[in-house]
Amino acid sequence: MTILTIALKYLRGRLVASTLTAVSIALGVSLVIASVILARGIKEGFISGATDYNLVVGAKGSPMQLVLNVVFRMDLATPNIEYTIYRDLQQDQRVGVAVPMALGDAYHGFRYVATNGAYFATSPWRRKTFWLAAGRLFPDDPPNAPTYEAVLGAEAAAGTGLRIGDRFYEGEEMADYPLTVVGILRSTGSADDRAIFFSLSSFWGMNEVARKMVVKPLTAVLIRPKRMSDLPSLHREHNVAPETQAVLPSGVLLTIFNMMAVAEDVLTMILAIVGVIVLLYVFVSMYSATLERRREIATMRALGARRATVLAIVLVESCTLAAVGGVGGILGGHVAAYLAASLLATRSGLVTSPFLFGALQPAVLASVILLGTFAGLLPAVLAYRTEVAENLTPLS
Amino acid sequence: MSPRSAVALRDVRKSFPLGDGRSLEVLDVDHLALPAGSCTVLRGRSGSGKTTLLNLIAGVALPSAGTIRVDDTDVFALSEARRDRFRAEHVGYVFQTFNLLSAFSALENVMLAMVFADAVPKRLQRRSAAELLARLGLAERLAHKPQQLSRGEQQRVAIARALANGPPLILADEPCASLDVRTAGEVLATFLAVCREEEKTLLLVSHDEAALAAANQVFEMTELNRAEADRSTA
Repeated sequence: MTILTIALKYLRGRLVASTLTAVSIALGVSLVIASVILARGIKEGFISGATDYNLVVGAKGSPMQLVLNVVFRMDLATPNIEYTIYRDLQQDQRVGVAVPMALGDAYHGFRYVATNGAYFATSPWRRKTFWLAAGRLFPDDPPNAPTYEAVLGAEAAAGTGLRIGDRFYEGEEMADYPLTVVGILRSTGSADDRAIFFSLSSFWGMNEVARKMVVKPLTAVLIRPKRMSDLPSLHREHNVAPETQAVLPSGVLLTIFNMMAVAEDVLTMILAIVGVIVLLYVFVSMYSATLERRREIATMRALGARRATVLAIVLVESCTLAAVGGVGGILGGHVAAYLAASLLATRSGLVTSPFLFGALQPAVLASVILLGTFAGLLPAVLAYRTEVAENLTPLS
Repeated sequence: MSPRSAVALRDVRKSFPLGDGRSLEVLDVDHLALPAGSCTVLRGRSGSGKTTLLNLIAGVALPSAGTIRVDDTDVFALSEARRDRFRAEHVGYVFQTFNLLSAFSALENVMLAMVFADAVPKRLQRRSAAELLARLGLAERLAHKPQQLSRGEQQRVAIARALANGPPLILADEPCASLDVRTAGEVLATFLAVCREEEKTLLLVSHDEAALAAANQVFEMTELNRAEADRSTA
């Protein structure tokens, strides 16, 4: 038998109280881990999901709404712009690449994204690469001959259960325009995983209003200038135009991060309060446990245990509770982060990683063990100072 | 040549502060010697200082004055840590209310005493504790927690724990006072027999006739303790 086994015996001896204390620590740690992972994940999700394009041209309105809608498939849809704007941009000497996009309804919660082959093209300046897991991409069909062929993002394919060759539509009014799955993409770690892609002509063909329009509608145009020095002039021109606005996605990201920083500050305060409450709970638990067994501590001392030995037993108990709670909390925090990330992906389309491993986990565990041991310090000193002769007999 | 004293007290006083600047003297013993291997019984009314005397000899309470030697060692000349170690190795203490640790089995309660003394090699502790308990008739009760044992069995575990490190001196504070007459008789007989076999020096607080019959010397606290005598005549 060692000090550790004696401490473990005592913890098992008051199993309910020990379990509740460890669970309260685990809940506090879970909250910290899940919050930090999610906050980091959301940031990284925004960064990795951000477009490789430098400018988004869309209808006048909120710049953030435009970027959230077009790039992250979040927020409400923005008004449309005319297809001619895309044609003009294509012919603009300053524009290197222009990609038209039209966002519409959804199938089983997975957004319809109409675009052309340029969206999937590989370029040296692009971080994102689209790989086909199965099938092929849809053709850039002419407006009067839509093929109604669709390519599914990885999560959209998994979520809908659609396979190559399957035909699908959402709502009876769309039964005349079923889409056929011709390709499934590999995961990109972005909102594109939850999208259903097809051609612009298919999009216009499916939409009753668009069918009748002479000048077809678009949601936005993604732009990569030939030279970065042309970006300010393109940005300015499309902002002063009466119908359009041009938004720098990086600027919107910065705004989002600034807003998140305020939320993070509030979250940090809440987590600190949770930490103090958990610390107090551990202290009260250990203190009452030590008070309850003063006679047993006196008996141990009468059997020859040194003051330092009983001090160490109490400290090892609180340290063990903190370690068990800490490990449980880290595991629980990842489970909570996973569930929250899944919910976030379903509700907002933002793809976050709930399993970010690094210095966080060992740092949190070390801090929890240190704080848990600290919470047990006063009860340990109480045990250390227990007077043997005064506590050997029960109070009558 | 007189037999060697296992315990020798000289001019030992113990008083407790009353909080108003005065103090209450509860023990004043000029001289007390327990020959090695003897059985000494202490008798006296409640509050006459019997437990205080045992606590002082065990080194768990500090005397206000005087010297206490156990096995020729001045107990209170030792540092507290060394006194703890000395107690673990040289003194076995049996309490009236057993004082078994509730989270531990009978076997572990006995092993605990060995852990604190570190006198028995670790690899032998379990076997040694099991043998002791078997000798006291508890071979089938090793894994039982105190609350799963009868009071008589609990006191046997407490006796085994006191003997765990093979201490030459055993202090027992009314070990059978909380047992029924029949169980008390059985437990006391076993206890005295084990102490006799192992030639322990036994200081026993008891009013039991069997204990008195087995004693080499019997002290009345009113005779031994001047503070108690003063109170009795006051």
